[in-house]
Amino acid sequence: MLIDMHIHPIFYGSICEDEEELRFRGDQFGVWKQGAMSDEELFAEWDICDLTKAALLPLDLTTTEGGWIVSNEQVAALCRRHPDRYIGFASVDPHRDDALEVLEKAFREHGLQGLKLHPSKQRFSPNEACMEPIYDLCQRENKPVIFHAGLSWEPNAPTKYCHPCDFEPVLLNHPGLRVCLSHFAWPWVREMAMLLMKYPNAYTDTALLYVDSPEEQMTELFTKDMGPRWFERCFPRQVMFGSNGPRFRAFKLKRALDQVPMRDYARENLYYRNALRFLSGEED
Amino acid sequence: MVVVKTIEHLSRQVSEFYNITEQVHAIVRESGVRNGFVAVITAHTTTGIIVNESLPCVEVDIHEMLERQAPLDAPYAHAHFLPSYGATSNNSQGHLKSVLTGNHCMFPVLDGKIVCGGAQDIYLVEFDGPQYRRVFVEVMGE
Repeated sequence: MLIDMHIHPIFYGSICEDEEELRFRGDQFGVWKQGAMSDEELFAEWDICDLTKAALLPLDLTTTEGGWIVSNEQVAALCRRHPDRYIGFASVDPHRDDALEVLEKAFREHGLQGLKLHPSKQRFSPNEACMEPIYDLCQRENKPVIFHAGLSWEPNAPTKYCHPCDFEPVLLNHPGLRVCLSHFAWPWVREMAMLLMKYPNAYTDTALLYVDSPEEQMTELFTKDMGPRWFERCFPRQVMFGSNGPRFRAFKLKRALDQVPMRDYARENLYYRNALRFLSGEED
Repeated sequence: MVVVKTIEHLSRQVSEFYNITEQVHAIVRESGVRNGFVAVITAHTTTGIIVNESLPCVEVDIHEMLERQAPLDAPYAHAHFLPSYGATSNNSQGHLKSVLTGNHCMFPVLDGKIVCGGAQDIYLVEFDGPQYRRVFVEVMGE
């Protein structure tokens, strides 16, 4: 079993009918030379690495860019097509006046299972006053939050908003809120490791492939950027598999991670158990 | 006279031999061209077109030869983030195998049929699947 906790469904064929919208998504996300993919093509790629479920992440850029990189409604529609395969997340622009209503609708009407935010692209600090009602709502509704953290390839997205240490007050003040700082907050891997050790409500994912081959980068991450046993010794319940599709192909990351030495229980956690715990808040 | 048709295929493995011999022969037969050439050309840079005998053992030997020539774990220069794509492709192995196999093959057409040896099968070979792939078959002649 493998759960991919980090997919941007920008090119998922059934929501790619509007060419202008597709161009907006590509330009805002910073991805080009790719096109709509059918379910058959998507799942062929899933099948070769036993990928069974994936979290689909939208992004609300209403006040910064005037649109969405995939909307909550589109994620909900994708989930209705494949409820056994897709885990739908919501997004909301924290600076829009109706942010709470948008989020309540996403959780209660669309049944979305968590919140995705991107402080760099949405231009907010995780510690702004406007964030507190959003965190409170997520905690009340038992919905986890995935933040972009570390380097972002999205245009017009300053990195200063996504340093992992800037999220520490959120982790500290909301111990009941499950928070994923994605991409291992690369290049601040050691800062991310520190947060994972200190805060049991902190999670991260493997959605990074920025500078090397998958084999090289995953080996660097798990044996050089961190000590080779840090994951299984110090925070074996807090790292999730994530691919960052469409930037990186899930099966290549999985192939690379299969080669990283770790104990069986740690690998099971990485591939799916931590995701299940992050999503539900319940022990397995 | 020129007739162009497209063969489409969804590969389901990273590496895959897809035999397109019968499809190419059928396109030639139905083209109306009696005498000339047929060219079989892939639309991609991480696939190849090869002509060889369609025996599983031959496919294994070709696959293993290509793996030795372009191994997965070589320190390829192309293994990095590509800003113009917004993605990390990490598919140099596929590019190099494509160079080794070539992107096309050609056969003479006589009396409305391909002229070829009995063991000459035509493959689209996948080196970076799974993906949708296209092969152009162009029949030229009179």
